Amino acid sequence: MVTLTIDGKQITVPRTATIYEAAMQAGVEIPVLCYAKKLLPYGACRVCLVEVEQMKGRLIPSCTTPVTEGMIVRSSSAEINKVRKTVLEFLLVNHVLDCPVCDKAGECDLQDLAYDFDCCSNRFEGVKFDLPKDEVNPLIERNMNRCVLCGKCVRVCDEIVGYGSYSFINRGFETKIATAFDRGLNCEFCGQCVSMCPVGAILPRPFKFKARPWQLKEVDSVCGYCGNGCTVTFGVLKNKVETIRFNDKNGVNDGNLCVRGRFGYSFINSKDRLTQPLLRKNGQLVPATWDEALAAVATGLQQAQAAKGVGILAGARLTNEEFFLLKNLAKTLGTENIDHSGGECYKGVTEGLLATLGVTASTGTYPQVEDAEAILCIRSDFYETHPVFGMVVNQAVKRREANLFVISDKKGKFAKLPGAKTLLTKPGTEVNVLNAMAFVLLDENIAVTEGVEGIAELKAALAAYTPEAVEAQTGVDAELIRVSARRMVAAKCAAILLAYGVPYASQSREIAVAAANLALLTGIAGREGSGLYLCGEKANSQGAIDLGILPGSGALGSSAMLAGQVDALYVIAEDPLSVYPNRGALEAALKKIPFLVVQDIFLSPTAELAHVVLPATSYAEKDGTFTNAERRIQRVRPGVPSPGEAQADGAIFAQLDARLGGKIAYTGIEAIFAAIEPYREIDFSSIGAQGTVWGGENLSLSRRKVQAVQGQSPVDGLVLVTGSALYHNGTLSTHASGPNAVEHEAYLEFGREDAAALQVKEGEIVTLKGNGAEIKIKVKVGQRLPKGVLFAPYHFASAGLNRIWHGAAVTPVQVSK
Amino acid sequence: MFKEFAQGLWITFKHLSPKYRTTVEYPKQRLQPSERFRGLHRLVLQHDREKCVGCYLCPTVCPAKCITVETAENDKGEKYPKVYKIDLLRCIFCGYCVEACPVEAIEMTGNYELANYKREDFEFTKERLLK
Repeated sequence: MVTLTIDGKQITVPRTATIYEAAMQAGVEIPVLCYAKKLLPYGACRVCLVEVEQMKGRLIPSCTTPVTEGMIVRSSSAEINKVRKTVLEFLLVNHVLDCPVCDKAGECDLQDLAYDFDCCSNRFEGVKFDLPKDEVNPLIERNMNRCVLCGKCVRVCDEIVGYGSYSFINRGFETKIATAFDRGLNCEFCGQCVSMCPVGAILPRPFKFKARPWQLKEVDSVCGYCGNGCTVTFGVLKNKVETIRFNDKNGVNDGNLCVRGRFGYSFINSKDRLTQPLLRKNGQLVPATWDEALAAVATGLQQAQAAKGVGILAGARLTNEEFFLLKNLAKTLGTENIDHSGGECYKGVTEGLLATLGVTASTGTYPQVEDAEAILCIRSDFYETHPVFGMVVNQAVKRREANLFVISDKKGKFAKLPGAKTLLTKPGTEVNVLNAMAFVLLDENIAVTEGVEGIAELKAALAAYTPEAVEAQTGVDAELIRVSARRMVAAKCAAILLAYGVPYASQSREIAVAAANLALLTGIAGREGSGLYLCGEKANSQGAIDLGILPGSGALGSSAMLAGQVDALYVIAEDPLSVYPNRGALEAALKKIPFLVVQDIFLSPTAELAHVVLPATSYAEKDGTFTNAERRIQRVRPGVPSPGEAQADGAIFAQLDARLGGKIAYTGIEAIFAAIEPYREIDFSSIGAQGTVWGGENLSLSRRKVQAVQGQSPVDGLVLVTGSALYHNGTLSTHASGPNAVEHEAYLEFGREDAAALQVKEGEIVTLKGNGAEIKIKVKVGQRLPKGVLFAPYHFASAGLNRIWHGAAVTPVQVSK
Repeated sequence: MFKEFAQGLWITFKHLSPKYRTTVEYPKQRLQPSERFRGLHRLVLQHDREKCVGCYLCPTVCPAKCITVETAENDKGEKYPKVYKIDLLRCIFCGYCVEACPVEAIEMTGNYELANYKREDFEFTKERLLK
């Protein structure tokens, strides 16, 4: 620690702090343009100059100068102010003064500083910039005439997103920020640059000319897409979510968001939202009152329960409180046939983890990953399913030189990170590689075996998984398997990341067990600062597991329910027909179910088959809590009222429960939360801006037992793998114009080699055949896929990919023109 | 005492003569208000469109909150007020909107004949304000 004096205030700060950080801590404000908390110090703008007693004679940039013992700093004086004003005048020489039409006005750092320093006129004269604007893409608008060259966009894109879309080009007065060859933007469209820009040079195009920042009501909530649990701040104008505001004060995401979180809000205001209940009369879905609809549902469910039974399938986008009420409803009904999205995937992962670690959640928290020395990602899709967690990995690798190992069937974004090693497997053989790593640990006697049960059995079972044997099977270099296993066990802090969700249902139990084995053998599980991370695909996947939205023992899981083994099926916030495997069989089964109730925000293909459709609310209209993938319980707050007569899922459950004879009623969210058994130690009112992590930073394990699991042998020939695309999450984002602007239809991705061999070109429509079905799909050619592997995202209902994909990790297919 | 009484009455009678009359026989006769009079607002035209760029400063500064602006992008990619409305029933004619306008797009005219029969008629839309 170092003690220094700033403007007469004495303060003690860590040795690594800069003068600016120390000043912030002391409550002294120093103006800045190029500084951002999450970026490395840069010192571009020279607005933060201060005087240091020990370095008299020149002014010192406070944001890049580290503190030293006994430093005496003055943050403002006549001279400093004169210099700062001059800096601003220089910036304003070429800066166009179009504040009246600039959307940044009102929250523009340059505008604020010009006001603070009284820059009414300029002593210098120059020509105003007249550069062309980039208005080509629909999400990010760049107007370099307003740029102050602080470099924040360049740095955030490189340091945090790891994409590197921008750089400075030209020299001197001509310097500007541009993309490669000064072309239009063609990137991930995460909009991190938008959130960082201190002026109006980079702006969100969907919000263009919509409103002024001071008109917006800001509501802090949690993103409703993936399980990462990023804080989103709705900018609400006239009961409409108009934009997502930058907020780095709340939550765990440091203000980082991906394209879905930042631009995927437009479905909330969509005209296609369901606004009133629908009832099937004479084969047609016709509008009905809530009373009619609820009465129909109550009688329908009761009758079915008396016969073969009722099944309940919930999406993982409900709040914890809603899951609790749903569970109550199931109890009142007397059914244990309850499951949540992901089909059998969640079930497999939960079972696998329970058998090995005795817990069903991530064992660490996100900030720990930033300090990890070694990281193992299972599936490169990890960046695509959880982009903001991916940004944490980027930072660990780029800033702290963590070793990154990726076990994946394609070379995704992580493969490009410096020093990243990709263990490129043949699709579906991840378990084999994990087993081989466990073999190496045991074989070389470097595994952590103290207190771990089942070592001998595992050792015997892994005999066939020598790195050489696995190399022959999966194509992963044996030496690489050895190196990665050694590194994972040697690292003081390490993390194993595993994403799961609907498209990853195959071998989910095996992968969970294999990953848990590795976590135990490397000592990662349960150790301080390390962790095994299970990242659910949907916003409240972890909450659904915590609250036990899983079939009771002997009861039916989602696949059995969807196969028609129940007399009534109640589907909530889920669209099985669009994304669950084997659409053909599903369609037939759903049509045969005597009573189908769908509760959703859109009339999904599944809802179109329903007997009763109940209109629900989106995450922006809900009150409650979500539990993210690191067990953090965060508050979800309603930003806008629900459209039409739509009601929150929880309210619907409560009413149905009352109609079915349920006795307990709750007075509000707080009362429901207090009744949630797994969270009984958490006080609702104590859930602050950063949320509350249940089970502590590092979850203690209730069991340490390694188990043997068998891998699969690879499938030869041309195979299809499915998964998540970066721009989408489930089917929800396909209703949002932001993500759709980047990717609005299904595609079939080919590697260059395959594209050349099959003579297909980007944008062409081809016929994809497999599992007795065929679909027409657009071609995309990329560099990620190895030979013989095709990839198609699963989000788009219209493409009907799930007619071909029947749930297996790999599907043999044929492609013809 | 009689003298003072006569003097006083003289002033009274003097003001009965047309020369000293201050009453204006409205509506037969109308006064020309001063140039700085703050009457009905007018939006200024420039070429083919309103001069207003939709900066939202007038609704922000308006103490009576009587101005509604909604902006959008026109075909040329410029910002323009898609909706510009003044609720004259709420307006207090303070002229802050004119003062705040960075592009001198709004003015106040000498028009003070603002009475009307229906509430809706007091809503001055962009089209009416541009006239």
